[in-house]
Amino acid sequence: MSVTEAPPSETQQGETSVSPRPSLGSALRSAEFDMRTLGMLGLLIVIWIGFHILSGGTFLTPRNLWNLSVQFSPVAIMATGMVLVIVSRNIDLSVGSMLGAVGMAIAVLQAEILPDILGFGHPAIWLIAVGAALVLGGLIGLLQGVIVAYVGVPSFIVTLGGLLVWRGVNWWITSGRTVAPMDSTFQLLGGGSRGSLGEVGSWIVGVLACVGIVAILLYDRRQRMRYGFKLRPTWALVTLAVVGSAAVLGAVWVMNSYYLPENVAMQLAEERGIPWPEGGLKIPMGISYPVLIAIGVMLLMGFVANQRRFGRYIYSIGGNPEAAVLSGINTRWTIAKTFMTMGILVGVAAAVTVARLNAATSGLGTLAELYVIAAAVIGGTSLAGGLGTIPGAVLGALVMQSLQSGMVLMNVDAPMQDIVVGIVLVVAVAVDVYYRKRAAQ
Amino acid sequence: MRSLRTTWALMVALALVLAACGGGGGDTTTTAAAAPATTEPAAEETTPPETTGTTAAPVEPGGTEGDITVGVSWNNYNEERWARWDEPAIRAAIEEVGGRYISTDAGSSAEQQLADVENLISQGADAIIILAQDGTAILPAVESALSQGIPVVAYDRLIENPGALYVTFDNVGVGRLMAEVIYEMVPTGNYVIIKGNQADANADFLREGFEQVIGEAVANGDITIVGETYTDNWDPALAQTEMEQFLTQANNEVDAVLSENDGMAGGVVAALEAQGLAGQVPVSGQDADLAALNRVALGTQAVSVWKDARELGRAAGEAAVAMAQGTPLEEVPGTIIFDSPGGNQMVSILLEPVPITRDNLNLVVDAEWITIDQLCQGVQPGTVEVCG
Repeated sequence: MSVTEAPPSETQQGETSVSPRPSLGSALRSAEFDMRTLGMLGLLIVIWIGFHILSGGTFLTPRNLWNLSVQFSPVAIMATGMVLVIVSRNIDLSVGSMLGAVGMAIAVLQAEILPDILGFGHPAIWLIAVGAALVLGGLIGLLQGVIVAYVGVPSFIVTLGGLLVWRGVNWWITSGRTVAPMDSTFQLLGGGSRGSLGEVGSWIVGVLACVGIVAILLYDRRQRMRYGFKLRPTWALVTLAVVGSAAVLGAVWVMNSYYLPENVAMQLAEERGIPWPEGGLKIPMGISYPVLIAIGVMLLMGFVANQRRFGRYIYSIGGNPEAAVLSGINTRWTIAKTFMTMGILVGVAAAVTVARLNAATSGLGTLAELYVIAAAVIGGTSLAGGLGTIPGAVLGALVMQSLQSGMVLMNVDAPMQDIVVGIVLVVAVAVDVYYRKRAAQ
Repeated sequence: MRSLRTTWALMVALALVLAACGGGGGDTTTTAAAAPATTEPAAEETTPPETTGTTAAPVEPGGTEGDITVGVSWNNYNEERWARWDEPAIRAAIEEVGGRYISTDAGSSAEQQLADVENLISQGADAIIILAQDGTAILPAVESALSQGIPVVAYDRLIENPGALYVTFDNVGVGRLMAEVIYEMVPTGNYVIIKGNQADANADFLREGFEQVIGEAVANGDITIVGETYTDNWDPALAQTEMEQFLTQANNEVDAVLSENDGMAGGVVAALEAQGLAGQVPVSGQDADLAALNRVALGTQAVSVWKDARELGRAAGEAAVAMAQGTPLEEVPGTIIFDSPGGNQMVSILLEPVPITRDNLNLVVDAEWITIDQLCQGVQPGTVEVCG
């Protein structure tokens, strides 16, 4: 019954005694590299290289990686919230259906209601639609959270009910009719050929991210010095900063190496009156908006989970609910807020999904709960509560999506895809459980 | 211990999620509609009085109009067309002769549908129309109904029992029509084929229709199929991902897409749009979904094969009524013999679908299937005749 905190950083001071020749493992430990994150990165690299070879060299191309990044965004966005829900010893099975209901509602709002009031193509339509998605998602989440926290119905049951209810609502809004097309500005949220930052913007984001990484490392060091915690060795700091920045800039470079499809570039040139050059125009895509949203959500949620009282309360509730109550935490309100956060994130994901498909359908979001929960769990979130990280869940989502789109690229049929994804899920968690046990001894 | 619990909890959770999805939505739609029982067998005193005793006896499903009950077993009412077009048409055909319409919804569950059919029989149905979730799994229920002398109509989806009447649009024909339109536009080049759910026989019928048109061109190399896949649950979002991957693989060298329905065509067009290819690569579809007809008007989809579900519903309703009144299977008007893939000689009513392209959009408008506003949203003036 140990109160384990999410980043197992502060728990090990003094454990690593000075040994003359440290092994690689202990060196990594003293540098506080998270072994499970490293392990997952390793898994991801194996999957990527494996698919690259099996697909005859199409997997690791800028184009495919760009597609992959867009496809994974909605699941990643929701997985960050699912981590908190699971950490608090709850579960949310309703996210897929909620996505369907919210997505359908905002699609009807922007395609059928608002154009009548504001006029077709009004610039405020997309903002109202996104706002409505967040509010609706938040309200649904809050409702479920209140039933869980204040009425005391187990979250499994509440959200199982939600899974049925919101799926029904999704159908009921239009009697199953597909709603399309979406507002043209709104569509940018889903990526597509124009829904990205472009070259310069992407580099700016990349450089800002590098500055951010260094700043966070330095801030962390200062805080440790202030409270007299053990410091990371300098080599570790430098490695982290260099590797982190290189990864970010590399990702930006990949995104920028995917050029606008020729037809789109041609349309663009025509619109702006640029003459079409001989060899064609090479306009880099850059980071797409859904990915930008996913990264933003990840940073925000990571901050909330680690730095804000709300986040810390969730981890302490998950670690030991009784202790949390006794120490004066308003556990009920915290739980309700956790579900509300999940709901808002579902709203974000709904907006991205609908924008990407440029339509809302009756099956929208079917089985998404499965992928979201799987992403969180593969990312190291423990269903027993108290353990789990936001970046881990995002990595988990990336693993899941890589598997899926890799198999489509190889022309694997749908039933086989399900089998593989299912097996990987169980094996990943089994390995995780094994290492956690060993680490505990 | 904790870790063991974790693994178990996860597995149970996922199993439950799956189970829940299978049965999802069933509760939210119309189940066993008792409401239409208000049709007036008493008010219309035209019926001979001596027939009243035969209602509850399934052994003698005859009787004349006024006390006919037709039960419909929907597999999944959660789809646009059933509630909007099929059900009203079936209901109208039954109620026209003073019959009673009852229904159940299986919520995509084959097991549930078995129970549903039994339930309809015990509610006193004199004929049963089944939209099968699974054409094989439903067989025991069909046999049981037939053995009690209750005629069965296999609605839109094949049930491999020669005792049932198969009422559908000619699905191979639908596939053929789609492929003919596309083939005429693109006689040579790279094709992508996006098929529907693997467990649905229609996915293969449609594919067979494609084959009849493009088979020869594929064999002699004029057409290359650069991607072909089934799509779980005919899911549009999945079709979009598949299309993106095919485009990546073929480096955008795709000249035509045969998509087996309109929903998936929507996903395909979204993927093409992202590459600036929408409108240049012809895409097929069927069902005449409103969004798809809008795409046809916009020029991003080449064809949507229209199967007027109202006609199908009327044909099935009328056939069910006729059989409930004692017409033998072979003598139902308009039937032909269809050789099923399972080797059965099915007595069938096969209706002719209509391919809707940019040139005949007036058909769907005239039939009040879609309004001009819905059809012409975002269409440049002067490009399509109906839109002005």
